[in-house]
Amino acid sequence: MRKILKIYKPFTHAGVLLAAQYRVNFVFFILGDVLRCFINYFLWHAVFKSGGAETFMGFSEIDMVSYIFISFLTTTLAYSDGAYAVGEEIRDGSIAMRMIKPIRFDLAFLFQELGERTMSLLLAFLPLVAGVEIFRFFATGRFAFNLWFFLLYFVSLVLAYLINFYFNVCFGYTAFVLKNLWGANFMKDCIVGFLSGGIIPLAFMPGWLGTALNLLPFASLTYTPVMIYIGKLDGIAILLSFGLQIFWLAFFFVLQQVIWNASVKRMSVQGG
Amino acid sequence: MIYVENLRKEFKKTIKEPGLKGSVKSFFKPKNEIITAVDDISFHVPRGEILGFIGPNGAGKSTVIKMLTGILTPTSGRCEINGQIPYKNRKNYVKEIGVVFGQRTQLWWDLALRETYTVLKEIYEVGDDDFKKRMAFLNEVLELEDFITSPVRTLSLGQRMRADIAASLLHSPKVLFLDEPTIGLDVVVKDNIRNAIHAINENEKTTVILTTHDLQDVENLCDRIVMIDKGKKLFDGGISVLKEKYGQSREMKFVPVDPKAASKLSYNAEFGLSEDELSLENDGHEVKVRFNSGLISAERLLNYTLSTLHVKDINLSDADIEEIIKGIYRSEVKLDA
Amino acid sequence: MKRLSKIHRMFKLHRIFIKQDLKRLMEYKIDFLTGALGMLVSQAVELVFLSVIFAQIPSLEGWTFTQILFIYGFALLPKAIDHLFTDNLWMIGYTIIRKGEFDKYLTRPVSSLFAVTVEKFQIDAFGELFVGFVLLGISIPGVSLEISALNILLFIVALFFSTFIYTGVKLITASVAFWTKRSGQIIYMFYMINEFSKYPTTIYNKAVRFIVTYIVPFAFTAFFPASYFIVGGNPWYNIGGTVVMAVLLMSIGIFLWNRGVKAYESAGS
Repeated sequence: MRKILKIYKPFTHAGVLLAAQYRVNFVFFILGDVLRCFINYFLWHAVFKSGGAETFMGFSEIDMVSYIFISFLTTTLAYSDGAYAVGEEIRDGSIAMRMIKPIRFDLAFLFQELGERTMSLLLAFLPLVAGVEIFRFFATGRFAFNLWFFLLYFVSLVLAYLINFYFNVCFGYTAFVLKNLWGANFMKDCIVGFLSGGIIPLAFMPGWLGTALNLLPFASLTYTPVMIYIGKLDGIAILLSFGLQIFWLAFFFVLQQVIWNASVKRMSVQGG
Repeated sequence: MIYVENLRKEFKKTIKEPGLKGSVKSFFKPKNEIITAVDDISFHVPRGEILGFIGPNGAGKSTVIKMLTGILTPTSGRCEINGQIPYKNRKNYVKEIGVVFGQRTQLWWDLALRETYTVLKEIYEVGDDDFKKRMAFLNEVLELEDFITSPVRTLSLGQRMRADIAASLLHSPKVLFLDEPTIGLDVVVKDNIRNAIHAINENEKTTVILTTHDLQDVENLCDRIVMIDKGKKLFDGGISVLKEKYGQSREMKFVPVDPKAASKLSYNAEFGLSEDELSLENDGHEVKVRFNSGLISAERLLNYTLSTLHVKDINLSDADIEEIIKGIYRSEVKLDA
Repeated sequence: MKRLSKIHRMFKLHRIFIKQDLKRLMEYKIDFLTGALGMLVSQAVELVFLSVIFAQIPSLEGWTFTQILFIYGFALLPKAIDHLFTDNLWMIGYTIIRKGEFDKYLTRPVSSLFAVTVEKFQIDAFGELFVGFVLLGISIPGVSLEISALNILLFIVALFFSTFIYTGVKLITASVAFWTKRSGQIIYMFYMINEFSKYPTTIYNKAVRFIVTYIVPFAFTAFFPASYFIVGGNPWYNIGGTVVMAVLLMSIGIFLWNRGVKAYESAGS
C-alpha cells in the first residue's frame, strides 16, 4: 500500500496543480450548475404549496430541499472524467503506450483525479453543506446536523466516487466502437443522472421500478449517500447499502480489469 | 502605395506573482506592465515591390503585419495603404489585400478545397467569369488540381500553403501579405512557393510584403528588406547594399596536416588587423578564419597560410546573409539606411 | 438594392455551410445519432421528472400539466434556433480569441460577427427543435389557444425575437473574451439562467423573478410570450417586452463586440 502511494503520489500532485490552474473556471461552472438546484428548489416549493400536504411521497419540504442540494454536491464530488480520458486515449491511439509503462493506468488516472477533486472539495463542499444546514436550522428551528450521519455519508461518498470512476473507465472502452465521445458521454450522463436519483429521489418511482433501481449500481452513486445524509436510512439499511456499494465497486473493478486484459491482448495481436 | 509613419503598438501585460497568493492578489489588484512591441517604425513601399521583413522571434514583425492588415489597431502613428487606413474602414480595405499566415490556415478545415474557394468567391463578391479565369490562373501557378477536391484537413503542409496563397489571391488583391510563407516546408516545396510568389508579382504587379526567418527567401525573392529587432528598425535597403556594406566578410576553412602546427599562425600580427577585422577559430581539427575582404585579399591570406604549414583541405566561401544579420544583431549597431 | 444583395449574399453563404454540415452528417451518421439521441434522452428525463410530480398534484400554482408542457416546449424553440446558428460564439469564449484564431475573421470583407457565426451550423440542435415541436403539438389541444392569423403572426414575432435574446446574452458574455482572452465559463454561467425560463416565473421568489425578467431576461424567451398564448395578457408587455429585450441585448452585444474587436490583441508572434 505504501509503495503504491509512493509511486502514484506525483499523479495526485499533478491533479492538484491542474485543478488549481482552472479553479476560476471551475467556480463559474459550479455557479452555473447551482442555478439548476435553485430552479428545482423553487419548483418543489411550488409543488408543496400546490399539493397542500405536509409530505410528498414520504418527503417533507425540508427533506426535499436537502435532497436537491446534497445530491448536487454528491454528483459533483463523485464525478469522474474517466470515460472521456480513456476514450480520448483510445481515439488517438495513445492507449497503446500505457501497455509499456510499469504502472497501472487505472491507478494513474485515479490518483490524478483524486488530486483534481480536492479542488471541488475545497470550493464546493463547505459552502453547500453550510448552506443546507443553515436552511434546515431556519426551517425547523433546531440544529439538524448529525455528525454520525455526516461521517457515514462521507464514507458512502468515497465509495460512490470509486464506483463511478471504475464504471466510467469501463464505459470509456466504448470508444472502440463509438467515435462521438461527446455525444456518448452526454447520453450516459443523462441516463446515469436519472437512474442514480440525481434528478428525482428513487423513492418516487413506482414499486417494482423503485426496487430495481435501488439494486442497480447507479443508486450507489448518488441516491445512497444522500439518503444517509438526510437521515432517511436506519442502521441496518445503511449497512446493507454499504454492502451493495462495495459489491458494485468490486464488480466494476473486476470488469475493468477484464476489459483491459482483453484489449491488451487484442492490441498485441492486431497492433493497436 | 504603402506609407508607414511612426507606427507604434503597445500591449498591456498583467504580471502575475507565483502561487495562490499571487493570483489572488493579481485578481484584485492587477499589476500591469506596458510592452512596446513595435516602436516608431516608418517605411515606404512603392507599387510592385517585394519587401522582406526580417528579424528574430518576437521582434515585432507579425505585429507590424497585423497592423497593416487591419487586425490590430496601432497605439499611435499611421499607416496608409492605397489611400486607405486599414483599421478605420476594415471591411472595405481588406477587399484590396490578401493575407496568408503561415502558422495557421484560413481555409475551412472540413470543407473540400474547392468549396472553400466557392465560399471566398461569395465573401469577396467575385463575379462568375472572373472567378473562372482567376481559378485557371491560380491553378497554373500553384498547381492545385491534384488536391482541389480533398478536404483541407487532409492536405500536406506544402499543399495547404499553396491552397492558402491561392485563397488570398482569389479576389486579385493589390497587396499581398505573407507571414512566414515557407515555415516548416521542405526545400523543394519552398522553391515552388517562391517561384509562385515571383510569378504573381511579375504578372500582376502585386506588391508583396513578407516576413520570414528563412534567408533564402530573402535572397531569392526580395527587392528590399527591412530588418527589425525589439520593435525598432535596424536596416532598410536593398540586399545588394546590405551585402556590399556589411557583407565583405568571407570565410576560409582548412584542415592542417599537423594540428599542432596551427599555433604557428598569427594572422593579426602579420597583416596588422584587429580581432574585428579578422578572427580565427580552431577546434583542434579544422581552422576557420573569418576576414574582411575589403582590407585583405584572399590571395595574400592563402599564400601566407600555405607557406606556414601543410594543409589537407582548404575552402573559401562568401558569408551569407545569415552571418551578416547575426553580426548586426550581435553588435546592435545602429545602421544608417 | 445594395442592402438586398448583401442579404442575398449572407443567405448564400449560410447555404454553403449548411450543405457542408449536412454532408458531414451523412458521413458520420452514428456520431450524429449519438448526439441527437443524447439531446432527446436529456429532454425525456426531464419530462419524466415533470410527470412524476404531476402524478401527485393536480396543478402547480394554478398551472396545469399541459400548460407547463406548452411553456416548456415553447422554451426549447428559440434555444434550438440560436443553438443552430450561433454555436461558434461559444468557441469565441473558449479558444478562438485565446489562440489568436480570430485574426482570419478580420481579414474578410464581411462583418467579423457574421464571419464567425456562419461557419458553424450546429445540427445537434435538431434534437431540441424536435422535442419542442412535439411538446407544442401534444399540448396545444389541451390548452385554450386560439389559432388566428394574429396569433400566428405574434408567435413568429415572439419566436424570432426570443432567439435574439439567447444570441444577445451569448454575444455580450462572449465579447468579454476580447479583454480577458477567455470567457467560456462566463457564457456558461449566464446561459444556464435560461433554465429558469421553462417554468412559470410565478413559482420563483421576487429576486429571482426580477433577475430573469429584467437582468438576464430569459423569462421573455418562454414564459411571457407562451403564457400570452395560453392564458392571455397584455401583448405589449408579453410580446412587446420580448422585442424590446432582444433589441436591447443585441445592441449592447454588438456594441461590446465592436469595442472588443478594437481592443483585440491577437496572440503570440
